[in-house]
Amino acid sequence: MTVTDPTMVAGPRKAPPLALGTALWRLLRDIVLLAVAMLGVSWVFREILANATSAVNVEESFTTVIADTMIFTLPFALVIVTALRSRSLLKNRRGLIIGITMLVALAVQTISVGQQALTQTGAYGTQTSVQFTTEQADEGVLVTAIEAGGAAEQAGILVGDVITAIRRDVVDKAALDTAILQSDDGAVLRFRLLRDGEEQQIPVTVTSISGVNTTSIYMGYVALFVTAILALAIPFGWIPYVLLISFLMPLFLGYAWLIIATFSQRTEGLLPVDTTGNFGGLTLDNWSFLSGQMGARNQLDIWGVTLNSAMIAVVMTVIVLLVASMAGYALSRMNFPGRRGFLSMTLILHSFPAVTLLIPIFIVLQNIGHIPLIGDLFGFNTIGGVALIMVAFELPLGIWLMKGFFDGISWDMERSAMIDGATRWRTFFEIILPQIRPGLLALGIFSFLGGWNTYLIPATFMVGTRTSNLPVLIRDLTGEMQPVNWNQVAAVGLYQLIPILLLFVFAQEYLLNIYAGGTKGSS
Amino acid sequence: MASQSNGGAVQAAPSDPTLNQRSRTRALAANLTAYSFLAPAGILVILFFFIPMLLVILMSTTNLATDNFTTNIAEWQYVGLRQYETLVNDPFASKVFFNTVFYVLCTLTFFNVTMALIVSLLTVHIPRRSGFFFRALWMLPRITTSAIYIMMWERILADVPFGILNWFNELLGQAPVNYASDYTWVFVIVVNGFIGVSFGMIIFTSAIESIPKDIMNASLVDGSTLIQRIRHIILPMLRWPLLFVITYQTLSLLTSFEQILLLTDGGPANRTEVWALAAYHRALSNYYGNTQWGYGAAFSVVLVVIGVVLAVVYMRVFRFNELVAEPKIEVL
Amino acid sequence: MQVDIQNLTKKFGNVVAVDSLNLDIKSGEFVAFLGPSGCGKTTTLLMVAGIYKPTDGIMRFGDVVVNQLQPRERNIGMVFQSYALYPHMTAYSNIAYPLKLKGISKNEQNIRVQRVADVMGIGHLLDRRPSQLSGGQQQRVALGRALVKEPDLLLFDEPLSNLDARLRLTMRGEIKHLQRDLGITSIYVTHDQIEALTMADRIAVMNQGKLEAFDTPEGLYERPKTLFIAGFVGNPPMNFVDVEVSQNGAGPVATNNDLKTHFTIDQVEKVLAHKGPVTMGIRPEDIVVDDGSDIRGEVYLVEPLGRDDLIDVRIGDTRMLALSDPKLKIQPGDTVGLRFNPERLQFYDPQTNQSLVW
Repeated sequence: MTVTDPTMVAGPRKAPPLALGTALWRLLRDIVLLAVAMLGVSWVFREILANATSAVNVEESFTTVIADTMIFTLPFALVIVTALRSRSLLKNRRGLIIGITMLVALAVQTISVGQQALTQTGAYGTQTSVQFTTEQADEGVLVTAIEAGGAAEQAGILVGDVITAIRRDVVDKAALDTAILQSDDGAVLRFRLLRDGEEQQIPVTVTSISGVNTTSIYMGYVALFVTAILALAIPFGWIPYVLLISFLMPLFLGYAWLIIATFSQRTEGLLPVDTTGNFGGLTLDNWSFLSGQMGARNQLDIWGVTLNSAMIAVVMTVIVLLVASMAGYALSRMNFPGRRGFLSMTLILHSFPAVTLLIPIFIVLQNIGHIPLIGDLFGFNTIGGVALIMVAFELPLGIWLMKGFFDGISWDMERSAMIDGATRWRTFFEIILPQIRPGLLALGIFSFLGGWNTYLIPATFMVGTRTSNLPVLIRDLTGEMQPVNWNQVAAVGLYQLIPILLLFVFAQEYLLNIYAGGTKGSS
Repeated sequence: MASQSNGGAVQAAPSDPTLNQRSRTRALAANLTAYSFLAPAGILVILFFFIPMLLVILMSTTNLATDNFTTNIAEWQYVGLRQYETLVNDPFASKVFFNTVFYVLCTLTFFNVTMALIVSLLTVHIPRRSGFFFRALWMLPRITTSAIYIMMWERILADVPFGILNWFNELLGQAPVNYASDYTWVFVIVVNGFIGVSFGMIIFTSAIESIPKDIMNASLVDGSTLIQRIRHIILPMLRWPLLFVITYQTLSLLTSFEQILLLTDGGPANRTEVWALAAYHRALSNYYGNTQWGYGAAFSVVLVVIGVVLAVVYMRVFRFNELVAEPKIEVL
Repeated sequence: MQVDIQNLTKKFGNVVAVDSLNLDIKSGEFVAFLGPSGCGKTTTLLMVAGIYKPTDGIMRFGDVVVNQLQPRERNIGMVFQSYALYPHMTAYSNIAYPLKLKGISKNEQNIRVQRVADVMGIGHLLDRRPSQLSGGQQQRVALGRALVKEPDLLLFDEPLSNLDARLRLTMRGEIKHLQRDLGITSIYVTHDQIEALTMADRIAVMNQGKLEAFDTPEGLYERPKTLFIAGFVGNPPMNFVDVEVSQNGAGPVATNNDLKTHFTIDQVEKVLAHKGPVTMGIRPEDIVVDDGSDIRGEVYLVEPLGRDDLIDVRIGDTRMLALSDPKLKIQPGDTVGLRFNPERLQFYDPQTNQSLVW
């Protein structure tokens, strides 16, 4: 295409800038529609769904969180829509666009604040308090002022008291504030305090007070203006990335923590800290488990457990590949009585609540254990047994997937092999199997990951570290009664994750196609 | 159809009796080949699906518990349908039932369908490689061991000073929140939802990418906006995949409990107990110091029945018969 | 080897793919199965190969009933439209595979593969994989693989359809030559009548599962027994006109609203004996552009075919395809006169679609 033809360059998509009136009218319409939609959703969740769940005795806050999120994000949504809309509506009127956007930001936030003031929510909402002010002192938390008639005064706390603990938990100012804030209205906190050098215990009833959190109001305005500017300035092409990245934020945080934690003594949030709580404390001690040292346990056969993990995964993968490809081949390419029955059974088993069968499987495994020779390999509390259960659970998907791959192979090739003189078995192994290498690879990776990650089945069917695998070990470490060394657990976790991540990097294409492959033909 | 596969074998040459005889032998041999291909899978299915299923049904008619536990079937004490009676009248069971409905509905709508759709729509509208990268990231929750995945989430919502969310609250001067107990369901849903997104995402993406380029180009030439394209071209094409994801993921959510087991173990105070987890708890985990195998089995049977019914329904939805093409080689 | 097919029937569910087929193929004969797609010709071939089980009927190779024999027990070679080479094997291994399955020693395999490869002219390509070969080369490998075990019967399933026009012409000649030299009985399935007409000793024309005719190429072309064969064999296809036949002073004449023509074929009586309307057929090459003729029509379309122009003429409601000399420079819109060769007309009963003549 040449640039000489002006209609071609402009294209049908780029309409000329609209008249100011029309533009503003459309903008207003969008704002109203969006506001009504979001408020409506919020109302439905808070007034209908929340009541419905509590009527059937489901104790949840999910619906109210959705309702609140709608209300909370409404101003931001309005500002973003305004910015994006006016950008495309009004060409070359930068001042006007910025003006409109800022005006909308100001308006919606003011309305939002006003609404909060009226309904006593958000910045005007209630919080639990004992109605005193404190500051951190050397011995503890010093009470500096007491509100007249407040909870603290009623309980008999005096200015000059030094609070050292709640019950037996020693507190500093931050911990004290947190404890008060996290208490429910009417809860009783037993303060241990020093008064005139004597230790006393005073119970204080926490009460909820309404107050204005001016900082959060100002923060709200700032956040909105920043949002407005970003929405005005950001190139359109970035929007999907911004959304995708923000959706994935929890994962980024989680994996970031995992990595940071393994190299530090402690973490506060994402910050590595040393034992005194200051920034720093970077260390490699968490990785000492690799040499068998593991904190209080001291002894940990990490390589043995790793070997177990690998054995389960490998044994399982090999069996799954062989069994699933044979069955998939027969179902895809052979005609025999019962073919349809077996196929529909595969589909049903594919969506079968197999985990609910763990109890009777236990009995089956025990009985297999009684069989000589086989029992030693595949009985209860053996790697083989666990692998076999995993194989069984993986089979329906595997067979269906393999069938899909076999379906795609040219019939002529197989006919040709049979005319050349091959039996069905030779055709399968020498001609057909080599054609579905991508399928074998996909299923192989998938079941290896499944086997390497499996937790529930080994946790249920293997007793003791002799046969446990890494996921079970990780869970055991976090479930101990003694204080958990989270950072060490994180290190073991990362260690377990490394092979997966490596495999993932090399095989993501296959993994991303696995479901698509299994449902081909049907869509 | 089954009659055809039978038919081909026996009616090969009715005109000649000796041929008929040979044909039967041949057909038998041919079927044996097919069955020998299927045998390993069949044995595993019998061992780990059929026998356990019979056992669990049998067990649900006993009062098998810790005090009279035995793996010898003959010594079980059969109580008929009493476990089911208990189940129907158990307020705990009804709570768990509604918990399950709530859990499945919320996770499915918000994550397995909506989020999956959003992610696939976004990732197909950015350059291929970037889209691929983001989809790969969404696979991470699915391929990370549940033990580690849950540990990460536990850390994200832990109390001060360790919790990551509370750490941000602190930085922003906000009051700390006890996420684990105040927002239990929110996190149960989010944690499971993040795993569930990838399934729908993959299905939807491949469906969108299979929309003929011509249709897309035609609509571009017609001057449609992105929103119009999504509404009028992409979404109508996604009807079938949507149906598939909804039915299939309903089943997955109904039966999966590993993450909830690790995250909340059904707590606090059974608030997040779901059906599959209840079955597990009753039967395998020391529940109030007493495992109730019989009662747990009754829970399992109910779930199995629901699962099979749904599976049959979704086979109908899938038009299973169209999936089963006849083999184009008839001899074996 | 002689192939005898009696009453061969194949049903898929309720669909009859092949309906009571009877064929007797002589030893060394090259037979083509010709028909439109879905007519059952490939199904028949696959039954002969042993891939499909016949629903009814008997197949004999020589004196042996082969119904129950596995494909590998029939000693046949087959060449497929898709070549069906094994992509993970080299050309050499592909050709050697049937020998390997027979348990023939490596040395012997080597000798025989080399011999076949030399005949096919692919000796220098043996260590390549199918993906590294051109379509024609792949087809030669496939042919080599079918020939290497010295089969009693060679089956071809549209082997040339995937090749370009030029290569198709070459391969056509080569296959024909090879077959004649080796004297192997061959069945060749095709929907391309030129292939069938040029290569086959006899052609079995199939339509909707039924055998329409089994005859030599000349027989099919000159004496088409049914309306289907008349329309199917020959390119450009035969013209059909519904006419009344009668006898007038100048001899037998065929007329309808648009045209009137005399005819002088040998079996005139048979045609005249027929009561009611008949379908008259005339091949485009038997129509001459002659401005002196009474049959006049407007030229609607002119398609240059090189040696001739194919002209589409509308005579009232009747459409006629005819061949004209490009030198006449006929243009669309011209009015031309057409004269039918009175000895080359065909007549069919429109009820039974059978020829009134043959």
